[in-house]
Amino acid sequence: MGLWRYRELVRNFVVRDLKARYKNSVLGFLWSLANPLLMMIVFTVVAVAVWHRDYRDFPVFFLSGLLAWNWCAGSVVGGTYSITGNAHLIKKVAFPRELLPLSLVLSNGVNFTLAVVPFLLLAAAFGFWPHPLLLLLPVVMLVQVLFLTGVALFLGCLNVYFRDTEQIVDTMMLAWFVLTPIFYSVEDLTQQYARWIYYLNPMASIISTYRLIFYYHSPPDAFFMLRMTVQALLVFVVGYLFFLRRAADFGEEV
Amino acid sequence: MSRVAVEVAGLSKRFVLHHERYRSFQDLAIHMFRRRRTSEEFWALRDVSFTVEQGRSFGIIGENGSGKSTLLKIIAGILRPTSGSIHVDGRLAALLELGAGFHPDLSGRENIFLNAAVLGFTRDEIEQRLDAIVEFAEIERFIDTPLKHYSSGMQIRLGFAVAINSDPDVLITDEVLSVGDEVFQRKCMDRIDDLMRRGKTIIFVSHSLDQVRYVCTDAIWLDHGRVRAAGRSPEVVQAYLDFANKKDRERRGETEPDEVTAAAGVDASRRWGSRELEITRVEMLDDRGLHSTVFETGSSVTIRIHYLAHERVARPVFGLAIHYGEHVHLNGPNTGAAGLPIEYVDGPGVVEYRIKALPLLRGLYTLSVAAYDEHGLHAYDHHDRLYPFHVQQLRIREAYGMVWMDAEWCHEPGWRAPSSNGHKAPVGVGGER
Repeated sequence: MGLWRYRELVRNFVVRDLKARYKNSVLGFLWSLANPLLMMIVFTVVAVAVWHRDYRDFPVFFLSGLLAWNWCAGSVVGGTYSITGNAHLIKKVAFPRELLPLSLVLSNGVNFTLAVVPFLLLAAAFGFWPHPLLLLLPVVMLVQVLFLTGVALFLGCLNVYFRDTEQIVDTMMLAWFVLTPIFYSVEDLTQQYARWIYYLNPMASIISTYRLIFYYHSPPDAFFMLRMTVQALLVFVVGYLFFLRRAADFGEEV
Repeated sequence: MSRVAVEVAGLSKRFVLHHERYRSFQDLAIHMFRRRRTSEEFWALRDVSFTVEQGRSFGIIGENGSGKSTLLKIIAGILRPTSGSIHVDGRLAALLELGAGFHPDLSGRENIFLNAAVLGFTRDEIEQRLDAIVEFAEIERFIDTPLKHYSSGMQIRLGFAVAINSDPDVLITDEVLSVGDEVFQRKCMDRIDDLMRRGKTIIFVSHSLDQVRYVCTDAIWLDHGRVRAAGRSPEVVQAYLDFANKKDRERRGETEPDEVTAAAGVDASRRWGSRELEITRVEMLDDRGLHSTVFETGSSVTIRIHYLAHERVARPVFGLAIHYGEHVHLNGPNTGAAGLPIEYVDGPGVVEYRIKALPLLRGLYTLSVAAYDEHGLHAYDHHDRLYPFHVQQLRIREAYGMVWMDAEWCHEPGWRAPSSNGHKAPVGVGGER
């Protein structure tokens, strides 16, 4: 496959993204943890004060969903800009354009992985010891990569033709955040809403699975996993086909 | 003999200029009610066909907006042609922007990897070339410094170093050769020459007609997206110059000169003389008697000088000179020194210089021609280094220097020089000093 030739480019794009984000410093990496930490504090305060949740348990519950959400948000917003924002490259060099959204999803994935380590320490401090189910983590991450790449390809391509995509995506992200079980659990919803949320929002399934691994320590249902994987694969294939049909014209459209 | 490196057949490219583009949903919504679309077609290229053989350097010239850059971008795979086909044999590297993808926060080394990866290289391939790239760019001491601290010259050198060391089969460049200082430019030219020696192919666009004349063996001239002329680069450049000059004169309302000379449009400092006796055309013919600017070492070459004497000129001397590149003067024969007296000339005529076996090795040479009086003091017409030509070596494998001598090697095993009584061993076999 021609793309394999370009693995070095994917690696370089990912490194470029990460270096730019961390500004080459350890402190830079610590700063990237500041946002989830602050969000955790704010939501814990609200959860304890409004919903009378247990403060010893909510931070792990919340972060087990938030980290994966941040990966999603970074990839979807970044993916939308990934083609138009690299116009200088696209107009001057021929390389498979799908590598740009893909590397963005991957660099956000690396970021997620780097945040999981301090998260596991924090969870342990709250009494949630790492569970053997962690072995399932790479599988869920792969499903998330598929889903996010599909979305990033679709939106990145759409934004070339309709610049409003940026605005729409920026606006929709907050709604998507609320409609994803991050600061609440799907079990809190009535049965029929829960089902709809799983069908319409693949991120809900993905985050519920992370939460089973990190928080509930109970194995996910095999059929649930299968449905989630098929859903992600479908998004990926549709996004990729949509992208490929137009990628050859990016050179003159961006 | 020579394989085709790039073949372009019937290539056309249409751009659609939307005067009102639906770049946003708002636009779209507004225009849903007004059905008519105001768009205009523009053909950047129209039925362009040409082939480039391996080991050639191919120039694309033309005015601004003639489609040169579009053509390069299509060959490079950045734009999709509307119709027609392109076939490239081997690995292609397009250098349309130096340092594409450079990132200011990354070090020189990291940028080399990024830049080379954009050009499609694997990690191993880049590591193999790293030293050569760093050395070529002359940035050894700064290799781990972030790029933002580099001078613009250093960035350009780095970009070119990556591209030229990528060692492609076909290298495509767009004006980028005209960067850097004199020394670096010469270094780049040497490297390009080296690529061609190794049978690589170079395609480039330049506004510098001199560059095209001296670097390219072949060229095409694009005019409003169509091929106006194609062939050997000096002839194509000449055709383009004639056209540009004619246009220039028309613009100024002048009439055509009665004699279109070979040197029309060329820098005046390269041509001088009183012109009672004028050199009107210079032809170089290969061993088959065909016009060419590319010759084979050891083959016969004829230089034909067409002159026109506007009045009777007594005892003229015709001469020529060959330079390696532009600066190394190799020879300067003339009819006087050769003992060919010319009593007088009046009207048109031809003088020929026939080289039985071209004694030059592969490289770029320039030819000067001149007509002088019998004492060599008064120039009637002197064309100084106006005619570049290439020498290629297909049969002869000598690789050093610039001269090929019609000689042969002999070896006699067991032959011993009579000891120490003044006899010498055959030259070049070693033995005594």
